[in-house]
Amino acid sequence: MVARENGQLYTIEGISAGMIMLFTAYLVLSATSVYTPGDTHISDMQLEQIGTDALRMMNTPVNGSAESVLKESVEHYDTTGPAEFKRTFLNYVNNRTGSTPDNLHYTAMITYRNTTDNSAMSSSLASNANLTGGEHPVRVTEWVIADKQFPGSVNHPRAVLVEVLLWRD
Amino acid sequence: MTDDAGNLSIDFLAGFTIFMVAFIYVATLIPGLFIGLQSKSIDYDAVAYRTGVILAEDPGMPSNDPVYGGGWEIIPDNNKEDVMRFGLALTKDTPNILSPYKIDRFFCSTWTSDDYRTKTIFGDYPYQFNISLKDTYANTIRSIGDPLPDGYGYSRRLVKIKEDSNVTINKAQIGIPHPGYPSEYNYTSNASTQVFSIYFNYTHLTGDGPAGNAPAYQINPLSPLAEGVIINITDLNCDISNPTRKILKDPSTRVNLSDISIYRSRTLAPLHTIHSIFAHVPVYITDIPSPYSLYVDGNAITSFSPPPEVTNNISLIIPPGELSYFGAEDPNTWLNVTLKFNLTDSAGNPREDWFLNSSASKYGVFEYNYNPANNNEANWNLANITQPSLHDGILEVAVW
Repeated sequence: MVARENGQLYTIEGISAGMIMLFTAYLVLSATSVYTPGDTHISDMQLEQIGTDALRMMNTPVNGSAESVLKESVEHYDTTGPAEFKRTFLNYVNNRTGSTPDNLHYTAMITYRNTTDNSAMSSSLASNANLTGGEHPVRVTEWVIADKQFPGSVNHPRAVLVEVLLWRD
Repeated sequence: MTDDAGNLSIDFLAGFTIFMVAFIYVATLIPGLFIGLQSKSIDYDAVAYRTGVILAEDPGMPSNDPVYGGGWEIIPDNNKEDVMRFGLALTKDTPNILSPYKIDRFFCSTWTSDDYRTKTIFGDYPYQFNISLKDTYANTIRSIGDPLPDGYGYSRRLVKIKEDSNVTINKAQIGIPHPGYPSEYNYTSNASTQVFSIYFNYTHLTGDGPAGNAPAYQINPLSPLAEGVIINITDLNCDISNPTRKILKDPSTRVNLSDISIYRSRTLAPLHTIHSIFAHVPVYITDIPSPYSLYVDGNAITSFSPPPEVTNNISLIIPPGELSYFGAEDPNTWLNVTLKFNLTDSAGNPREDWFLNSSASKYGVFEYNYNPANNNEANWNLANITQPSLHDGILEVAVW
């Protein structure tokens, strides 16, 4: 007698294998951390925020008759400015409310227009680490009106762009 | 022969059903999987960022409520439902520059966690939070919320905190002789009642501020900023420049501060005018809240009955909002704060003697202004008001 096999569930191995595969897929997906572009943007955004705040606060005088630290640093970029910028900027970006400071690095430049040949000139202002290429720095800027004669300019207030590359180890 | 061409195999039915159930199950599971992976932390960072922006860059709401005559920070606890949004900035035009009064009010212990959630964090989800502010000048840290867990959304803002102006009137202003005048504020004609006045010209204060009259550096007596001021008068028992002269001619004379009166005027008062064209503002030190705080020789004074004896110094603290109230929100106000001293002998009988007095001064009442010396002679050593200044601070927001 030939057994009637119509209606029988004889592929139970296949069903079991399918369930196992589905369960495995679930485990794999659950355990995988997908680092999306949106996540990197959050870190960058936080760095940009801190850097922008630091430059803005450095460009805010402590009282109505004082000059801002950033303005003084720019005006004396060839003498005492770099040391003052380094001390103040690092203090701003690394300070936290808790006892553990942050560990940010930066390199800062200034850019201004040379009126003799109408070119844009740049000069290093300060840095506390060198970019090696492996970092992922963010760029923050602040305009400063400096009461100083920059090379090639006449002696009147000049707009100077302070540009900082900021990254975290 | 059986014709079964149109039949559906039960194998197929079973397999297809299992597949569909599994497929639907997995399909509904996938969004949950990705939420579990990263989206919560992304959401927390965004909420922390938003909260940081609201606190650092927004003055809060109401920023100038006509009922209370100021911003949300002066709304009392029993009406705290009128506070719609916290914000610590001085004004909407001064991001990252915070008001010390708003900071004090924000970190007040009378707010509940729900108040912070509904007025600064927002969102339907019941977020946990920790908000801390470090004043690097005073080296103080204030925080609210719960201890930090391992993972949380985070935002850090660098800010500046505005400090009030104040003035200290000491022997440098009290006793320096001037041609034709025996001293600036030391009355060397005998009298048993001496008065010393300080006036505030609201037009100058709101219009002549430094740095282009920037709000960050103003001494603004009008709401919504309506700042407070501190007036210290010291060296009242000093031996002024000449060892043979003291502020009191007879050291045994007792001085009692018998009254502080506040008058306002909308018209320009002659400098030597004390009271006549001013209107009295009926305020009392016993009012609640008190219109000012008074300390004599370091002791808090709550009553002029009996009048407190003054030996060396007086501190008058006018809290935020009161100058706006005294001036009835009028930008043309001249406000005159007059301290009245009764001089007696040891038995309490009136005695005529020298003492602090502004009516005999070359410049009359003492003006609380940005740079009093510029209003007068260049080399005259008037007291300089300590201008409002900005101190560094760090605001951190953690949400989870």
